[in-house]
Amino acid sequence: MSSKAFNPFVMAQAQFDKAADFLNLDEGTRELLRNPMREYHFNIPVRMDDGKVKVFRGFRVQHNDARGPGKGGIRFHPHETIDTVRALSMWMTWKCAVVDIPLGGSKGGVVCDPHNLSAREQEQICRGWVRQLARNIGPETDVPAPDVMTNAQHMLWMLDEYEAIYGKKMPGLITGKPVGLGGSLGRTEATGFGVIYTVREALKDMGIKPEDTTASVQGFGNVAQYAIRLYNQIGGKVVCASCWDQNDQTSYSFRRKTGVDPDALITITDRFGGIDKSKAAEMGYEILPGEAWLEQEVDILVPAAIENQITGENAGKMKKSVRIIAEGANGPTTPEADKVISERGIFLIPDFLANAGGVTCSYFEQVQSNMNYFWEKDEVLGKLDLKMTSAFQAVSELARKRKLYMRDAAYMISISRVAQACKDRGWV
Amino acid sequence: MERQKGASLEKLTPFDRKLFDASGIFTYIGSGAIGGKAQGLAFIKETLLSRISPDAYRGIKVTIPTLTVLTTDIFDNFMRQNDLYDIALSGSRDDQIANAFLKAELPPDIVGDIRSISMKYHSPLAIRSSSMFEDAMHEPFAGVYGTKMIPNNQFDPDSRFRVLVEAIKFVYASTFFKEAKEYIVTTGQRVENEKMAVIIQEIVGLRFGRRFYPQISGVARSYNFYRTGGANPEDGIVNLALGLGKTIVDGGKSWNYSPAKPRALPPYNDLKDMLKSTQTEYWAVNMGKPPEYDPMHETEYLVTGNLADAEKDEALRFLVSTFDPQNERLMLGMSVPGPRVLTFAPILDIGDIPLNNLIGDLLGLCEEIFGHHVEIEFAVTLDRESGLPARFGFLQVRPMFVSRNAVSVTEEELTAPGVLVASEDVLGNGIIGNIHDVVYMKTDSFVEKESRIIASHLEKVNHQLAAEGKPYLLLVYGRLGTSDPPSGIPVGWWQVSGAKVIVELALPGVRTELSQGSHFFHNVISSQVGYFSMPSAGKYMVNWSWLKNQDTFEESEFIRHIKLKAPLTVRIDGTSGRGVIYHG
Repeated sequence: MSSKAFNPFVMAQAQFDKAADFLNLDEGTRELLRNPMREYHFNIPVRMDDGKVKVFRGFRVQHNDARGPGKGGIRFHPHETIDTVRALSMWMTWKCAVVDIPLGGSKGGVVCDPHNLSAREQEQICRGWVRQLARNIGPETDVPAPDVMTNAQHMLWMLDEYEAIYGKKMPGLITGKPVGLGGSLGRTEATGFGVIYTVREALKDMGIKPEDTTASVQGFGNVAQYAIRLYNQIGGKVVCASCWDQNDQTSYSFRRKTGVDPDALITITDRFGGIDKSKAAEMGYEILPGEAWLEQEVDILVPAAIENQITGENAGKMKKSVRIIAEGANGPTTPEADKVISERGIFLIPDFLANAGGVTCSYFEQVQSNMNYFWEKDEVLGKLDLKMTSAFQAVSELARKRKLYMRDAAYMISISRVAQACKDRGWV
Repeated sequence: MERQKGASLEKLTPFDRKLFDASGIFTYIGSGAIGGKAQGLAFIKETLLSRISPDAYRGIKVTIPTLTVLTTDIFDNFMRQNDLYDIALSGSRDDQIANAFLKAELPPDIVGDIRSISMKYHSPLAIRSSSMFEDAMHEPFAGVYGTKMIPNNQFDPDSRFRVLVEAIKFVYASTFFKEAKEYIVTTGQRVENEKMAVIIQEIVGLRFGRRFYPQISGVARSYNFYRTGGANPEDGIVNLALGLGKTIVDGGKSWNYSPAKPRALPPYNDLKDMLKSTQTEYWAVNMGKPPEYDPMHETEYLVTGNLADAEKDEALRFLVSTFDPQNERLMLGMSVPGPRVLTFAPILDIGDIPLNNLIGDLLGLCEEIFGHHVEIEFAVTLDRESGLPARFGFLQVRPMFVSRNAVSVTEEELTAPGVLVASEDVLGNGIIGNIHDVVYMKTDSFVEKESRIIASHLEKVNHQLAAEGKPYLLLVYGRLGTSDPPSGIPVGWWQVSGAKVIVELALPGVRTELSQGSHFFHNVISSQVGYFSMPSAGKYMVNWSWLKNQDTFEESEFIRHIKLKAPLTVRIDGTSGRGVIYHG
């Protein structure tokens, strides 16, 4: 959306600096937390299906592990940069801290485009990534997970390689595994449900009944779908959802004032998450430009697609009716847009709080895997709800008491927790 | 109905994890209806508790135990998201249905609240149904659905959460158990229209070692359909029992008395009869070693104890008399050794603990509020040493249906020509004239081991007649609906629910009086069933020869079903208690 060059790490550091000022952090702690503790950059040579060897560039960034083993996904992306990985690892540190789970922040990636790779080639990348990092990751050091363009299959290849190297079963190495092979029930729903748990609590704080609200959602991937489902279930109505169209290489918004039905839409959605426009029109949806999701007359906006979507340029298009923005995606709002949102008094649930359901459930998966004892879904989701609700309440209470913007309050809570852990360990 | 108006969600408190402190709060989770049982309690909380002066009953505090209601929309979501209607409405066995429900998942928007209840609450809980059909004025569903009591005392909150979740799912599943489904059909309702709210309620009781129970549980009714002990029907009737109220609602042995005459002994033949007929076992929540895992069983976490156990618990101090065998008399209290008899005499005779006054006043107040005769359920805990302070936990209130249409049956009519059955001890009121089917026990001897087989035969005939919408006359030997097979047929109400008139013929040497607090009995009355009691050697007899001369429609070893060309005429005089059935 934005035409400006966007460096997520610069943005992450700017956000940190602001919170550090609020907290009056000492120089040593700032220095420690502003940058990752460790970075691994390495080559992964792979013999391709055509017989040639191609070298892929891989990364793992461990931003901070003062509160526990690192946790963070592995992204396969053709435009992956180390700064993106750095920023995301830092956000993972804050995300784990804000929901108060005993994990640090990490992130990894490989510069590649899985759409142009065979399954065998992808498997070789996964196994190569683990061979390079086997000494630096593990259930007690750093626990990877799926992320952009990686999935449960990739995780199983990685786990298998790791267990082959160490000669024993260690399902706690990695999360995002399929149910039955060390995965946790509820993981699929966790991020989207977590977003709505925080929305529900925000509505309670504002004295608004969910059934009196409407919402517009950007995206129709896993997070958006489950967020829509749970929001509908608590009584709200989603009137617009957008998605990326792989064929047209653009996004569209699908509006239906009687409400979006995710179960029906999923039946006309392709593997890239694109909704069939003509079939959607038959179902009574209006097909609008991609950015139209932001311009709807609704109470709640849920950006649940990719980063950098609500910007200084388009923030003014939000209707006056908007009262809550819940960031299902990572970094969907730029600092310029934050200013607009703050000035308009819109209640923002920041990304690393709103979408922390995913990492919280990953933590549950890790715990279950380490015990080799798995919980029922009720138990997983019950624990998830309590974690998310407690985290939301802590942040909103601080924001209310100190009259802070919610993102700043969330940063203050997480950064102070991480800083305290560093201090307690005698690092600073 | 005013009662429903009083129980609208707007007037209740939504559940809030931040405010939850387990101190007498009535909250709800969800946005649907709260069901009949919860409506009754909500209404009482709003209208009755404020009218009871805290000092009026010398140290007895009246409360509605802390409860949270899961509203009916949660049930809807649970059924829908797990696609449970297929198995629920199929002919699957109860355990198969329960298993499918236990495997299903609760809606994700409420599991956090449920978990927070498990985290913060550590005392025993009752998980009870509160359905849309249940407890409505003319739809008696008392005891049809499951209730599960759980100790909730495990150290680990995960374990407490799991048990609570299983209990909720069990109560949901019980909506579709065979008993409930058949009963719903007999009331003319459709099973798929039933919606279930669930009450999660603190159990009123005290911990005695590995058992948790109230010293007293009770059911009181403001109208007594049995005219015994010289009391008037309007004086009402109270059943008291030691331990959980399950003893009473299941029709077990309990102490019956009229609030107008609390010192009058029930009509036992003699003291030995009293010793044999009073309560000797009680139900409690098992706080000790966890039981074998059996989430499909309603009594999974319950245990029974006997009077010796209760005496060791020091729970009997205000509840018993002692039999003095040398002098063949009862001594008040337990100051001397000897067999204890649960007469509740230290409370009812002396009156230091003003429980009877309280019960009488509550019945009066509830009647005034509901505008009908009422039935209340309660549990009482007493200070272990001095009796007071005591806590009176108000568990349930529901209106009773009492027909007021006057029918007069004279004594002469009872011996008139064409009489099939006559009795001077009949419950109900009015004229019934559309009965063509008669089902009766063929044998006049009664063997205990056969009673359960007889119950299953009765169920089969009832199922068939109920499905055809044909009311019938049922004649049985022994107490119907008993939980004590030697004294009668242990049927659930659903197994005879299509009977419009029941004739109960006493077994020689067995006291005929029914346990009036039982759900079975409540359902008899609310369904406006005519109930004829026939003593074993009474003035009036059944005209067996006429019955035997009719053509058999269907017959088993124990049961005979005849179809009559001309309908029977049933006349019941609710004032005098006389009733007569004429054959056509």
